[in-house]
Amino acid sequence: MTAGAAALRRMVVLLAGLLVACGHSAPPWGLRDISGLMPPLDFTLTAASDGAPVHGKDFQGRLVLLYFGYTHCPDVCPTTLSLLSHAVAGLGERAAQVRILFVSVDPARDTPAQLKTYAAAFGPEAVGLSGSEAELKALTKRYRVSYGYGKADARGDYEVSHSSAVYVFDRAGEIRLLIGPTDAAPVITGDLQRLLAEEP
Amino acid sequence: MRRTLFSLCVLVMVMAAHAGTPPVSVSDARIRWLPGDLPMAGYFVITSHAPGPLRLTGAESPAFGHVMVHRSVEEAGVAHMAHVDSVDLAPGRPVAFVPGGYHLMLMHRTQALQAGEAVPVILRFSDGRTLAVSFRVTGAEGE
Repeated sequence: MTAGAAALRRMVVLLAGLLVACGHSAPPWGLRDISGLMPPLDFTLTAASDGAPVHGKDFQGRLVLLYFGYTHCPDVCPTTLSLLSHAVAGLGERAAQVRILFVSVDPARDTPAQLKTYAAAFGPEAVGLSGSEAELKALTKRYRVSYGYGKADARGDYEVSHSSAVYVFDRAGEIRLLIGPTDAAPVITGDLQRLLAEEP
Repeated sequence: MRRTLFSLCVLVMVMAAHAGTPPVSVSDARIRWLPGDLPMAGYFVITSHAPGPLRLTGAESPAFGHVMVHRSVEEAGVAHMAHVDSVDLAPGRPVAFVPGGYHLMLMHRTQALQAGEAVPVILRFSDGRTLAVSFRVTGAEGE
């Protein structure tokens, strides 16, 4: 056999191997796969429900949907939270294995009591979290989340701009998926089901 | 539901045909409830039947201290709200005030509200006329 024929043969074997590998690879995720692109879930914040400190590792064993917003947000935040709530409800009994973490980026106005009732309006899986400026900075820097404050009007009302993304962490606390504003509830439910079906 | 909506539209149009009210039809008017005195969003679909240009220029409600026309905008993954001076209503073209887009921002409640209630909101137009529309309060999670 000539060297050229041998090389060609190796190429064919390699291509066949690739084809088999592709044939066996998992179907693509409905959401954006960001596995390995961000650090695992880690933070120190305060639970709005009881004022106790909470850490990222407290949620190990559950899927976590991490979202940043503020309670004086009448449109985008409730729209996102109700989307997540509907998607999680679609899991049926397994919804209990998911937590929706709503982190306030407006600590000046979002009192724990207000944050608690706000989160509760979006189902039992929604958890309101607040933090000191330093804690918020650490967390938002970790996940490259941006937020900013508009100028207050005569009534003292002001607007807060914030990242619209929702980060999905698996039960081991690893970053896996990104939910955007245009993703539909059934697509999210489907991907959460797949994450729950993985070996813990 | 569809039939009720239709008759509501017809009713609004009939009302509009009479003196004083602008020639517009409004459907699916709702306010998404939030706890406490947090600002809430009002959504609806509005269609102008005027022969020429017409603009929605503002809104007010006896149930709120302040109502603004807003639009949510997303730029480079960051969501923020923009105040809107007026919204163009082209003849026969429905304009949807929907989550993540145009909405009324209803602030400073003058009374406690709960899901299922009806709240009057007065829409103002560029021709100086106004239209009172009944908005239904829905739960925080929508329908």
